[in-house]
Amino acid sequence: MGPAKATDSKRVVLRRSTRRAILIWAFLAPSLLIFLLYRILPLLWNVVLSFEAWSPLKPAVFIGLDNYQEMLFDDDVFWQALWNTFGIIASAPIGIAIALGLALLVHSHIRGREVYRTIIFVSYPLMTVAVAIIWRWMFDERVGLINYAARSLHLVDKPIPFLNSFTWALPSVIAANIWQMLGFYMVIILSGLQTIPGNLYEAAGIDGANAFHRFVRITVPLLKPSLFLCFVIGMLNSVTSFDLIYVMTGGGPGRATEILITYIYKLGFNQTRFDYAAAVTVTFFILLLGITYLANRLSGGNAGAVERE
Amino acid sequence: MDRRSVLKMGAAAAAATLSQPAILRAQSSKKLSILTWNIADQEALFKEEFAEFKAAHPGVEIEWLDKKGPDLPAFYQTQLVAGTAPDIVDLQGEIWVEWAANGALLDLTPYLQADAEFAKLFNPDYMSGWVYEKKNYLIPFYVAKTLLFYNKLMFKDAGLSGPPASFDDIIKFSEAMAKAEKTGFITLNFDWLYWPLMKMNGIELLTPDLKKPAFNTPEAVAVVDRLAKATASGAINKIAWTGRWVEPNGAFSSGTVGMMQAHSASYFFVKGQGRWINRDTLGAAQAPGNWSTPTNHGFAISKSSKNPDIAFALIKLMTGNKWATKFAGIRRVLTANIEADKACLASLKDEDPLAHAVLETQLEHTDKMTGNWPLANDAQIKDAFWPELQNGLLGRKDAKTALADAERAVTRVLRRS
Repeated sequence: MGPAKATDSKRVVLRRSTRRAILIWAFLAPSLLIFLLYRILPLLWNVVLSFEAWSPLKPAVFIGLDNYQEMLFDDDVFWQALWNTFGIIASAPIGIAIALGLALLVHSHIRGREVYRTIIFVSYPLMTVAVAIIWRWMFDERVGLINYAARSLHLVDKPIPFLNSFTWALPSVIAANIWQMLGFYMVIILSGLQTIPGNLYEAAGIDGANAFHRFVRITVPLLKPSLFLCFVIGMLNSVTSFDLIYVMTGGGPGRATEILITYIYKLGFNQTRFDYAAAVTVTFFILLLGITYLANRLSGGNAGAVERE
Repeated sequence: MDRRSVLKMGAAAAAATLSQPAILRAQSSKKLSILTWNIADQEALFKEEFAEFKAAHPGVEIEWLDKKGPDLPAFYQTQLVAGTAPDIVDLQGEIWVEWAANGALLDLTPYLQADAEFAKLFNPDYMSGWVYEKKNYLIPFYVAKTLLFYNKLMFKDAGLSGPPASFDDIIKFSEAMAKAEKTGFITLNFDWLYWPLMKMNGIELLTPDLKKPAFNTPEAVAVVDRLAKATASGAINKIAWTGRWVEPNGAFSSGTVGMMQAHSASYFFVKGQGRWINRDTLGAAQAPGNWSTPTNHGFAISKSSKNPDIAFALIKLMTGNKWATKFAGIRRVLTANIEADKACLASLKDEDPLAHAVLETQLEHTDKMTGNWPLANDAQIKDAFWPELQNGLLGRKDAKTALADAERAVTRVLRRS
């Protein structure tokens, strides 16, 4: 092959790859544009707003770190909402543990397992508002099923005001949240279980490993990616479960079920403090980034990466 | 056809096309938009009103939009920011003050001064509730204030003959009626509707200049303490401090609560749910001291309105004698329009004596309304005060600590403002 022919061939390859790149960007452009318009720009504007004093009818004034100072040193509600948010995040592993148990159950050879899978999964596609209304009635002090059952079984003398009690309100909301997510967790874990080769269990059995050891040494390590996925989705779902809390308790009683996302909404739309709400939002965003980074590190550091053959 | 002719025809066609939107724009400059709050059920009436208005004002188009309870404030705010606020907006409670103070609403005082006859149509006490810094921002659409509903059957069982005359009575009566599932008292708590309980004990939220908290007094500590103890004992229903609308009204309509402090709109809710309710079993009275908290609806005009005069004319029509009377009759509400309310009460006297008794309370002691302070930061103060008071009422903190914490929180809001 002469040098001229080689150069031509390179040009053709280059032209082809340029055309290909243009085509790819052309397909990506609408999505990227929407992402830029509806995610990146509002996020950047939100950051700018957090350093300003602004209300819908007044021009913005730069105030530096005043909003952050108020949030960190002068706002008890922020701290209460932050702790409640952590409480809700911490509940994700409980849901995952329950879902793991259920997944193992419906992965075994019990009769009617398909039916059980469907029943467990059905909570997930339900609208969160519907879930919140269902559980609000379930927890109702006067006509709720849970109180009725507890009293019928003589477990309690007086009905428990689940959603009106400082002690019970947050656990009640967490229970509803876990119930809704169970189906999702179960499906993810179930798909993970189905990818574990059966011969590993056979080999372990031959080596004398009992069921517990097989679970701890084979099932759990190989399920790690699925469990991590459940944790990240569950955590994000929990901290953004605005509709569930808004409908079930509205953040009350007092601030017992206030989480950052409900507090941000109230600051913005009830109190018209969009500037301060922006500062809380930035903090919330940093918190989410931090937790996701930590979770990613714990799972080996390459979660979400596409492995090439 | 030569090139010049083609160009000429093209230019003429373009000019014709461009001139058409100009005409349309001129027409649409008479377009009025009106946003109402949770009253979509009155569509037929509004349509009649709009038809009459359009007949009197040819070329005016009216666009009507209704938003449900919690949606309206957020919606209106976004419209304000976008510069597309509706010309007329129906606002409830004290939410209007913040928007008036921030320049979103038009001062209607000049319109009322220019049309004194129209201003005279309304109850002056209700009218004065729409004043901020000596300017009137709203015209009453429909009004309601709190009263004390009481369950005569439970009163009879407890040996009580009539409604309570003092705060002491409220507590004592509640204790007398509380047994097993039954509780003695409940109140609605949103929009300061519980404040008559404080006011009847001489407790003020803020100093007269509205600049400092005034509620953290030994008297207030004693009141909160008594309310908390009565709540813990079951004399006062806990839902009083935790529910919003459905829960307390539902509890009272179940027939297991002796008294309920709520606004007149609650009557229609509890009547619809409580089979026990009739003229012999439900009583309607003023709260002790005759104090009440209003939750009124009024029409305001957005300052950004391009047609404020036409907007005011529409408000005039909708709140004037003819349509206010019709609206009050259909909806069984009072409108603060003196003639319309008289007609409504007269028709209810025989038709529905119980509703008549309830609505009658709304026109009594209108000079003793509380909880309707003209505060530009009302929502923020409410949000700072209420959760701390809740802590005290539900026993999470003792009364003294709860009020001290509430004072700190409210002071912070006032200082920031």
